[in-house]
Amino acid sequence: MNNAVVTPGRAMKPHRQKIDLLPYYFLAPMAALLIFVSFYPAGYAVWLGMTDATLLKLGQEQFTGFTNLVRMFNDKIFLHGLWRTLRWDVAVVFLEFAIAIPIALFLNLEFRGRGFVRASILIPYIIPPAVTALVWVFMFDGNFGIVNEVLVNIGVLDSYYSWLSDPTASFWIIVFAMIWAGQPLMAIIILAVLQTIPKELYEAANVDGAGQIRKFWHITLPHIAPTLMFLLLIRTIWMSNHIDMIYVMTRGGPGFSNYTEAVYSFTLTTQFQIGYASAVAVALGLVLLVGAAFYVRHLARSVLS
Amino acid sequence: MSAPEKRGWLPRILIFLGAIFIVIYSTAPFIWMLIASITPEHVATDDAVWLSTRKVEFFPSEPSLVNYFTLFDNVPFALYFRNSAIIATGTMCLSLFAASLGAYAFSRFRFAGRRPLLVAMLMAYLVPSVVLLVPLLVIFKNFGLINTHLGMIFAESSIAAPFVLLLMINFFTSLPRELEEAAQVDGCSRLSALFHIVLPLALPGLVAGGLIAFILSWNNFLFAFLFTSTDSVKTLPVLMRLFALGEPAVWGVSTAGAVVSTLPVALLFLAFQRMMISGLAAGAVKG
Repeated sequence: MNNAVVTPGRAMKPHRQKIDLLPYYFLAPMAALLIFVSFYPAGYAVWLGMTDATLLKLGQEQFTGFTNLVRMFNDKIFLHGLWRTLRWDVAVVFLEFAIAIPIALFLNLEFRGRGFVRASILIPYIIPPAVTALVWVFMFDGNFGIVNEVLVNIGVLDSYYSWLSDPTASFWIIVFAMIWAGQPLMAIIILAVLQTIPKELYEAANVDGAGQIRKFWHITLPHIAPTLMFLLLIRTIWMSNHIDMIYVMTRGGPGFSNYTEAVYSFTLTTQFQIGYASAVAVALGLVLLVGAAFYVRHLARSVLS
Repeated sequence: MSAPEKRGWLPRILIFLGAIFIVIYSTAPFIWMLIASITPEHVATDDAVWLSTRKVEFFPSEPSLVNYFTLFDNVPFALYFRNSAIIATGTMCLSLFAASLGAYAFSRFRFAGRRPLLVAMLMAYLVPSVVLLVPLLVIFKNFGLINTHLGMIFAESSIAAPFVLLLMINFFTSLPRELEEAAQVDGCSRLSALFHIVLPLALPGLVAGGLIAFILSWNNFLFAFLFTSTDSVKTLPVLMRLFALGEPAVWGVSTAGAVVSTLPVALLFLAFQRMMISGLAAGAVKG
């Protein structure tokens, strides 16, 4: 039914096969929406990246070719931003795995109250990132922060410390806020895969006298490995683009210490330099496109099969 | 892995402690936010009227809701809340409408261009918001959509709609075809089969997709920060950022705002937990 593909048997007819337009009608709203908010803007970003556009003189931009690209390679903030982006990606994604995998394994055990624990781990995910940022800034505040209070009380610190003004400390505080917010989704996805592993495999391993570590290594890990790879890819892409947490907590500061490329592009936009901002964003987007292509290929295959 | 009744007391205690630890880790910042929000701000004394007398109080000696009243009296909080609600609801409706029709086409029809169209739409899911920020800003200025609810709805849909598409394709594919075929044998048109047979069956998927679209939009900071300029359109995350900068430097009121901003999504999540967890597991969300 509903088969619009021209089949050889029907080619006998002298007139052209009538194409079933219904699926195209169904697709039209989505296609129109994506052209308007995604495809056309993405192309437009590439064009803007090759101009000297500023927000102050809209519509008067001049084509400048690769001037912005040359500027990028002479721009210390951009060049150091590459390292800052990498550092941010690795720290967040690695630590998210380090927390999400044990939580998922734990929640895969059967115990009373599991539903409650599973719901509660999603709380950090549900909270708006801007709120999480606000709460973490509040906890690490130099004057009223609970972290300072606790550390002074137990004698680790002599006096209150202004954590978010410290380049190293602020980086790790933002990283931990991000992990706290981002890790639940990973845990839930890994848990969903864990629950598809047939119990018989573990029972057979028990008969063979395999220990917990061997069972994890030979049964659990191979089953979740594809999902872990997929999460690694997608989280790295998202984290490279992530702005909210960094920008809300310190605006990329102190100084330029937390300027990832995404935050840099965003800051340039708020400074009206939209041509150069687009160039930075497009450069970042093109690098990530390689990973994205892998992801989409994998996804399209699994969806179409 | 092993059935619970086989466990000895030591594993049981370890599991109990593990569960407690995970729950505390996941909820402590939120609970601290709740506590701070019911701790009244200034207790001015005669010798230090000019000093902020806020101290870290683990449990407020005089809990009160005064911060919540201040929030609604002195900050246009109700207005921001309304804007967030309008934009998130709009995003939810637009994404559900466009994406579920599209997903139905992908999962139930074989047509020319199916694969390239699907790949293109999945690519849209991966176009970074950073890349879209500037062009959308210029396009919206040209179309008069800047600083409007409608413009915000379109911008948020660039994130939400591709996700809902993916989720709904998976969902429709998991539904048995036979029911629709039976309906058509009984003389139902394809459209009425869609509305009377498929949509009711797809309800759990639609609820999950709609909620996730709502939450994505409710939580989004970037677009709201750049595309809105007046109180009549600005959303809660923009206000949260002002609070995080310490404007106004009144943490009790800020945390009260944070609590109220979280409430709608938290309640939605609690109400539809099961559907949402399965929906989330079906795909990865931008974040």
